[in-house]
Amino acid sequence: MKKSGQVASVFFFILTTMLMSNAWSAQEGTLSTGQVWKDGAEIYTKVCAYCHETNVGPQILNRQLPAVYVRAIVRNGNRAMPPFRASEIDDESLEKLTNFISHKTSQH
Amino acid sequence: MASKYVALPKGVSEKDFDGAISKYREILGDSSVLISAEQLASYTKTMMPVSDTEHAPSAALLATTVEQIQKIVAVCNQYKIPIWTISTGKNLGYGSAAPGERGQVVLDLKRMNRILEVDKDLAFALVEPGVTYQQLYDYIKEHKLGLWLSMPAPSAIAGPTGNTLDRGVGYTPYGEHFLFACGMEVVLANGEVLRTGMGSMPNSNTWQVFKWGYGPYLDGIFTQSNYGIVTKFGFWLMPEPPAFKPFVIQYEHEEDIVEIVETIRPLRINGVIPNAVVIAHALYEAPVKAKRSDYVSGPGSIPDEAVYRIMKDHKLGIWNVYAALYGTQEQIDVNWKIVTQAFSQSGKAKILTEKEAADDPAFAYRAKLMCGEMTLTEFSLYNWRGGGGSMWFAPVSQARGSETLKQMALTKQILTKYGLDYSGEFIVGMRDMHHIVDVLYDKTDPEQVKAAYQCFDELLTEFSARGYGTYRVNTAFMDKVAETYGPVQRSVHKTLKKALDPNGILAPGKSGIR
Repeated sequence: MKKSGQVASVFFFILTTMLMSNAWSAQEGTLSTGQVWKDGAEIYTKVCAYCHETNVGPQILNRQLPAVYVRAIVRNGNRAMPPFRASEIDDESLEKLTNFISHKTSQH
Repeated sequence: MASKYVALPKGVSEKDFDGAISKYREILGDSSVLISAEQLASYTKTMMPVSDTEHAPSAALLATTVEQIQKIVAVCNQYKIPIWTISTGKNLGYGSAAPGERGQVVLDLKRMNRILEVDKDLAFALVEPGVTYQQLYDYIKEHKLGLWLSMPAPSAIAGPTGNTLDRGVGYTPYGEHFLFACGMEVVLANGEVLRTGMGSMPNSNTWQVFKWGYGPYLDGIFTQSNYGIVTKFGFWLMPEPPAFKPFVIQYEHEEDIVEIVETIRPLRINGVIPNAVVIAHALYEAPVKAKRSDYVSGPGSIPDEAVYRIMKDHKLGIWNVYAALYGTQEQIDVNWKIVTQAFSQSGKAKILTEKEAADDPAFAYRAKLMCGEMTLTEFSLYNWRGGGGSMWFAPVSQARGSETLKQMALTKQILTKYGLDYSGEFIVGMRDMHHIVDVLYDKTDPEQVKAAYQCFDELLTEFSARGYGTYRVNTAFMDKVAETYGPVQRSVHKTLKKALDPNGILAPGKSGIR
């Protein structure tokens, strides 16, 4: 059992190494998905918080901002705030983000 | 009858555009072809002092593969549709995600966001155009690769492909980004796919390690240009050094820029200070700490007296020199001695390190930029005037003290004439300086919009009259800047354009090239 486990591990290592070393060529023909947002908290942390938790933009957590308002600001921008396109934050992820902003109490 | 489109490409009938849109939908699917005003709003907002309607797109196409782009350019050639390509679309202050001309179709490559390769040993990356610095930063951390990024101030939301193709700069030793570019894949207007340098050779594994390939070097013609659509981009990354020592040196008088530059130049050329040093004016740093309205009200530019009060209240120099040392502790110790000796000679400099300044918000964000950490704190600039108006005025200067003083004085004089403030910095190259001035104004105030436009126009006119060229400009002033470089360069650019894109489908007007 132990030996076969080792063989399996070695096989997995070789396979993984092959796949890694060929990742670039393997991806040529097939479309793999690029970055996908995990949840609203991730978008908030990796986009919004850089301004809205550093006094660059206003605080937006803990204000019960209506989802429709948040959505409109994200898509249209506001004064110096740039808009964020559906190609950056897709509609489904934007729903998660607005939900996070509208309901989440700041952890910061 | 009202058109169903927000705008139409110049010279294209609605019927023909219907035909093109139908074909784009066949290629991409309905949901990736955007034509409604609501969908296009995020492609229309700019920070320039012109109506956003002048830069409204007719459609946006969300492509994800090279093959789709090849098909798209075929349709564009058939219908003579101009496309304006963007990657992350965060060229803020230079045109954002909006096309150069009204009615152009935006080709949005943000969803092409695969990190194709990051080589730890050879310290390079190959990415698609939609990859952001944040995405790459996370990937490097997750895989413990020990590599650093160099990025511009909009770090997290911008990306290496777009920034480098527009010849942007960062703040680490790899701060002159195009110097560290190595290999591109480009879809040409005829649909052919070119890999530059060593990438043209089948089975080559040196695409991202040797820039030049064989024959004329081509990568340069795909920067600040409209000769192709870059779909893969290779560049070098900096190995994380064992030690890093950021510091700031403050000076109290504007004329001290002469001494600063004369002191820095040999340190920079000789590699004692390896990174793209920034010499930031007090008004560039003030927004991180202060509100303009606390010091001045009403129209007009801020008086020097108020600037000196801000300096005193917020512990800023009139010039704030941000730089860093990198390497082993022993190397840093030796170079620190050289730096402190050089700057201590006149007795004017105040030298601060993390020990004294770690809690200072200006120092903290500058230190992050110099080691490739994500921060958007520089966006505080936009709160200075408020109202979302910003244009980067970016003339190049020799790294010579007398020249920088002349440029600063001339810029300030013209800004003051129009009631605007000098929010400027110099980013030090080896022998040059990128003089970067954020022309900030309130875009909701029609008077300031008009003043900002006229001011920017005059800045370009006066600087070019003295032989000072602009290295990069927003999409409202591209023709004007192209004109300053003379007719022969324009003619060569045009000749290349005709050869590579005879139907003029790729971003007509970019850098004044049609």
